[in-house]
Amino acid sequence: MSMQQFDLMVVGGGPGGYVAAIRAAQLGFKTALVEKEHLGGVCLNWGCIPTKALLRGADIAHTLKEAEHFGFAFDNLSFDIKKLVQHSRSVASKLTHGVAYLMQKNGVTVIDGSASLADKCLLNVEHEGKITQYKATHIILATGARARNLPSIEIDGHRVWGAREAMTPTALPRKLLVIGGGAIGVEFASLYNDLGTDVTLVEAEQRITPAEDADISALAEKAFKQRGIKILTNSVVQSLDTSGSESVALISGPDGEQHLEFDQVILAVGITGNIENLGLESLKVETEKGFLQADGFGKTNLTGLYAIGDVAGPPWLAHKASHEAVICVEKIAGVDGVKPLNKDQVPGCTYCRPQIASVGLTEAQAKAAGHTVRVGRFNLNANGKALAINEAEGLVKTVFDQNSGELLGAHMIGPEVTEQIQGFGIAQQLEATEHELAQSIFAHPTVSESMHESVLDSLGIAIHQ
Amino acid sequence: MTDQITPINMPKWGMEMSEGDINTWYFAVGDQVNAGDDLVDIETSKIINTVTASDGGILRAIIGAQGETHAVGALLGVLASADVSDADIQAFIASNTSAAPEPEAAPEPVAASLVAAADPLETKAAPLVTEAAQPSNNLSKLAEGEDDSQVAASPVARRLAAEYGVNLNNISGTGRHDRVSKRDLEAAVLSAGGRLIGNSIDKSAGTTQFGDDSNVKATPVARRMADQLGINLLECRVSGDRGRVCKADVEAVAALKNKMSAPAGSHIAGIGGGIDGGNTVESQPISGMRKTIAARLQASKQTAPHFRVHIDAEIDALLDVRKQINSSNTDAKVSVNDFIIKACASALMKVPAINVQFDGEQLSYFSNADISVAVAIDDGLITPIVTSANHKGLVEISNTTRDLATRAKLGRLKPEEFQGGSFCISNLGMYGIKQFDAIINPPQGAILAVGAGEQRPVVKEGLLAVATVMSLSLSSDHRVIDGAVAAEFLSVLKGYLEQPATMLG
Repeated sequence: MSMQQFDLMVVGGGPGGYVAAIRAAQLGFKTALVEKEHLGGVCLNWGCIPTKALLRGADIAHTLKEAEHFGFAFDNLSFDIKKLVQHSRSVASKLTHGVAYLMQKNGVTVIDGSASLADKCLLNVEHEGKITQYKATHIILATGARARNLPSIEIDGHRVWGAREAMTPTALPRKLLVIGGGAIGVEFASLYNDLGTDVTLVEAEQRITPAEDADISALAEKAFKQRGIKILTNSVVQSLDTSGSESVALISGPDGEQHLEFDQVILAVGITGNIENLGLESLKVETEKGFLQADGFGKTNLTGLYAIGDVAGPPWLAHKASHEAVICVEKIAGVDGVKPLNKDQVPGCTYCRPQIASVGLTEAQAKAAGHTVRVGRFNLNANGKALAINEAEGLVKTVFDQNSGELLGAHMIGPEVTEQIQGFGIAQQLEATEHELAQSIFAHPTVSESMHESVLDSLGIAIHQ
Repeated sequence: MTDQITPINMPKWGMEMSEGDINTWYFAVGDQVNAGDDLVDIETSKIINTVTASDGGILRAIIGAQGETHAVGALLGVLASADVSDADIQAFIASNTSAAPEPEAAPEPVAASLVAAADPLETKAAPLVTEAAQPSNNLSKLAEGEDDSQVAASPVARRLAAEYGVNLNNISGTGRHDRVSKRDLEAAVLSAGGRLIGNSIDKSAGTTQFGDDSNVKATPVARRMADQLGINLLECRVSGDRGRVCKADVEAVAALKNKMSAPAGSHIAGIGGGIDGGNTVESQPISGMRKTIAARLQASKQTAPHFRVHIDAEIDALLDVRKQINSSNTDAKVSVNDFIIKACASALMKVPAINVQFDGEQLSYFSNADISVAVAIDDGLITPIVTSANHKGLVEISNTTRDLATRAKLGRLKPEEFQGGSFCISNLGMYGIKQFDAIINPPQGAILAVGAGEQRPVVKEGLLAVATVMSLSLSSDHRVIDGAVAAEFLSVLKGYLEQPATMLG
């Protein structure tokens, strides 16, 4: 039998890979997708979606806690974390089947196995000990990334959880240490705190969510502390002793060193690309710090090889991977008007309570880039809807270029801001200035009216503050 | 009722055709038309071709008047027998024009007049572009000259010339019978620094002026930025979505102005470029790939006496070089065929008598090697062109070919990427074919057929040895290419293939 040949093959079935395969099939490529585990990748199986299912449980716990404020009283309240995890897993499984259906519907050949490059335009796929070779004119690597370990602390799946274990607990931890105050760390801190766990969050930088605007970080820290989450910034876990019944962490910070005891630890200190065992070294494919190097359309230095999504570097977000998938394939196909990824237009969302969402440059980044900025701020405690739903803690901050009026960045913290950030994203994509935004009519009463007020504030004409 | 009425619609010639200009009607309303009669000439940016009547009847109405532009599929006219009432004709027109989904169809609602097409020049009001406040020197030169009414020009070109204020005496015609075509006119306007009138521009407005950029579509940020930087939006290329000038376009002009204190005119406008390599080519229309293949190959065999010469080339040295190139360059995956393209380009420069097109009357010599490469696709075959292959390196040829082949399979080639070419290569080596002869791709003068490279016994200095040998066959049009020339070409080609360093130098 002669070797099977495809116009385009994708390695990895996550939100980068499966989207690339669908778009390629739509354009007429004879397309195959190689996946070693589950279609849908980390996002659908062990990331974005199952954690959102769990966080919905946290929201309900929070709502029940404040029910009294709205006049409700009840007792005999019980909670079974296994049922919440079951809900989360069933959502993941449903979506995985959805992806399999989409592959079939679009005529994408799905190949089970682990792929590696045998040569330019040549893939070895190993499945159950058997290696099959495939030829493809274009190969897209979308192998994703995994949690990083620390030199002194490694995920053991038992005393030290990675994200995967942290979203499939069989019992609720009593005292939890979350190492890493980025998006993943704060989401788990928020989740377990709402479910009743005593949570300590350690971050090496001087503030949690260090990638966000400083004003947002400050508000998030304040809200977290009010909820009873202990936050240690500028702090590092030097060592972790898991030999006893409790794990003992040695944490050094501005106030010196301290020994603290926990029954559970979550490690969330960043991720590293899945670049191993792909045959990259022998073909001299360029990588840097654990990630593949690619241009704005995903093209690597090797003929016919492309990289998209987490494995191609930050920001490590599913929607960035999907967008890269589309532009990479369309560029190969010669579709008119394809534009390279603009990382300043990739929104980022963190689903802690209160939620955080942002797009574009922070105020500090904008200034560092040489912009003369015009900044607007609006606090949600002056927003009627936010007060009505008793979620008035939050801020909308907008950063404009003083001269051109370009919306450089928007930063939000508050209820459901992850659903609102798209408004600013669209404005940015359309190159709207603060005047177009100011002239837009925002519906009342909504939390998103604060977006409007923030823009008005940048012009010094906010109405409600 | 409608089965007695035959619509005449705008045809679709080629994948990229979305609209056409009405050039000449051969009949007036009321004339009897027989099936097969030439009805109307349609001009696109590429070709002029004639729509013939599929049925007989009386031409009852002309909707697409001479000089107008209509979308593919739009109703242009109506044929029907005499006993169909005018009311029925009107109803048919109404139902077929209002339902037309093409937004680019005629800008004004189509007044289905039953009179013969009026001269469009008389009914048009103000010109679309008035050369305003500061017309550039070059543009005003285009307007000068004596009465141009006797200049041979297509009706569309004549109408556009009036709209642009261009005197046709200043345009050299390259259209059919050396007439000034729409393309000639637009090229002249562009090269003089002018801007093309897009079909999307409201033709009744006619106020766009150099100097006043208020009508230019631009994003809010771009407009503000241009205003602050003192940049006229008309100076900017248009790369934003839906034809809007965007921030990057303004920045590009700003960057350019910073580099050159005196920007030369406004020809940064990014509409198209020059024609690659300067090879002038009269393209052929295609209507259905298979139909085209059939017609062309049949015509080729019937009109061009094929003269074939064969030669074998040893390619062991070439395979070694290929291995070296591919292992030392991550960005290269050069195939044997890429070497053949490069070798042919070099050989065509050495033997230019092969690098020709012949249309039966005129023999055109090409200065560059525009090499068509046959690519098998699902529903037939297409020959994308590696333009100016003589100026390209092996890796560039390889990457160009990969891109062309990828898009050929997706049906995403532009007409200019597969129409033309000065020479053709057909390679069936990947199928293990040892040797074959190919049919010339007219109006090209010759085609090379390439077989598989395979190990064969060869005799060297009286001793039997093994070499990797490839059989090549050149089919040439014997009307214009003599046997000795064809033989010389193959022998030069063999030399390049056997000593690849000589073509890479």
